[in-house]
Amino acid sequence: MVSLFGVNFHEAKLVQKALQHFYALGSQTATRIMAKHSIHPRAKIGTLSPKTVTALTAELSTMVIESDARKIIQDNIKRLRDMGTYRGRRHAMNLPVRGQRTRNQNKTAIKLNRVERKG
Amino acid sequence: MSASNCLRCLGRPSVAGASRGVVVPVFAPRTAAPFSTTAVQNALPAKPKSAEHQDRSVRVYRAGRKMTIKKKNTQDRGKPPLPGERKAFRKKIVLSNDNAFPVPWVTEMEASSLSNENKVGSIVSLPPALQDQLRATEAFQPTQTWGLFRKPSTLIRKETVGLTGKMEKAVENKQTARIVLAGEKISGKSTMLLQAQSHAYLNNWIVIHFPDAQELTNGSTEYAPIPNTENPTLYMQQNYCLKLLQSIKKANEKILAKLLSVSNHNELPQNITVNQPLLSLINAAKEAEGAWSVFQALWSELNAQGVNRPPILLSMDNLPHIMKMSEYRSASFDKIHSHDLSLVRLFTEALAGNTRFPSGGAVIAATNRNNGPRIPSMELALKQRLAEQIKVVEGEEAPEPPVRDPYFKGYDDRVEKVLKTVEVIEVNKIGKREARSLMEYWAASGLLRTTVDEQVVSEKWTLGGCGVLGEMERAALLTMKI
Repeated sequence: MVSLFGVNFHEAKLVQKALQHFYALGSQTATRIMAKHSIHPRAKIGTLSPKTVTALTAELSTMVIESDARKIIQDNIKRLRDMGTYRGRRHAMNLPVRGQRTRNQNKTAIKLNRVERKG
Repeated sequence: MSASNCLRCLGRPSVAGASRGVVVPVFAPRTAAPFSTTAVQNALPAKPKSAEHQDRSVRVYRAGRKMTIKKKNTQDRGKPPLPGERKAFRKKIVLSNDNAFPVPWVTEMEASSLSNENKVGSIVSLPPALQDQLRATEAFQPTQTWGLFRKPSTLIRKETVGLTGKMEKAVENKQTARIVLAGEKISGKSTMLLQAQSHAYLNNWIVIHFPDAQELTNGSTEYAPIPNTENPTLYMQQNYCLKLLQSIKKANEKILAKLLSVSNHNELPQNITVNQPLLSLINAAKEAEGAWSVFQALWSELNAQGVNRPPILLSMDNLPHIMKMSEYRSASFDKIHSHDLSLVRLFTEALAGNTRFPSGGAVIAATNRNNGPRIPSMELALKQRLAEQIKVVEGEEAPEPPVRDPYFKGYDDRVEKVLKTVEVIEVNKIGKREARSLMEYWAASGLLRTTVDEQVVSEKWTLGGCGVLGEMERAALLTMKI
């Protein structure tokens, strides 16, 4: 197991996938981080040197990811809610925000849209 | 035709309708079933209901069939293969087949066999020691048909003799033959490369072979910028370097044990001083870290001027893969050109003629058409070289070499610069004489079950794209029905 930014990953995990595990860190950012540290695209996390892992952790700690990124989104939704906007209300009701139908096909909105948004 | 609805009240004349409070006329005909308007009187006398039916208060008219999922047979399938086992099986190289007959007239390859013009069209087998060397450099490929015959043997083609002749001539003049093998799919370019290596091993050359160029550029091995290199920054691939060093060591062990170092190498993980065998220099690379510096030291030792060194063969298969942008990215997220990878650069510099081997040698690269990317610059350069190589009969004008398409942007100057002065050998089709010799060998091995006469040779030669060797194998050997 390799610990990266406080999370343990299996050694056979691709570095790209391990980086994308963090909230608000997508494929683009992950590829750029890897290029910055000269990690090849197919590298597995077990092959990284301890020095590189430390450098990656240091890099990740300066970025707005995980709870910081969630907080930003929650604040944005809260702002809408406090202003009493339609979008804020729809978030509070767990319903689609942008005029989508609610008869069916709204599972994602029901799952995700809430004032204290998680995902 | 009777309507299913009552026309006056639009209510359904059924029991269900009646229960909902719809007024049903007293004289309305009672129906036999709720979905029918046929009068009860017309119906057949009702059968006495069985006890089972009477119990059910709610009658289900159409019960769906119950879906039953059969439990799958849980056979014991044994252990799944361990990691890497499948790949090892896929890459397994089988060089002999005990069920094939030995062919009496096949002789063992000697140092001069491949450069002897009288031997064109004959088949020679690879001696066991050579097989080990070729295995070490991964010269055999799993797609080739070595596993069908008793002993690994190869056909001496006209092009083979031409190629080895060029190698010998270069060594005589202490120069470097720089050759690109081009040709159609499965026409035998990789096998030709194997023959060049065999010739080199048998004549005590040092062989450094890159078995597959795409391993260097497709982003699958570790890379790191080399410190103190700027404009452009060069990159080293330590893991690949270690693998390469080990294959060099295994293949050239005897010669390297005799060669002695001429300078001190203090920067290496293990201190190497003057007059130590080069084998111990290679042994200094035990881990990936430091492999590049060991390789650099070895390369400088092999190219030390003014010392008696054996000729060097530098060869690479799948050339187009190093003639494009690699899959690696620099720290600033730009794609790295393959020529900025230090190992590739070492090869391209030698191919371009910028490296001078002390006792001469050869740099040979084979293109590939199956999995190779299209590199317009490389294709153009090879066509230009071929046009330049055509011998002009006196009184006739030389053909104009092709030029760049002015409306196409995808050319690469660096590629064209590397291939500016190389020699191109086209490995295309074999003649009928060579084909016959090969088919006689197949027949004597028990793999071709017909009498080899002119007609059969002609047939297979034509089926195989007029002498494309791999196609002939497909037509005659791989579609065999017993």
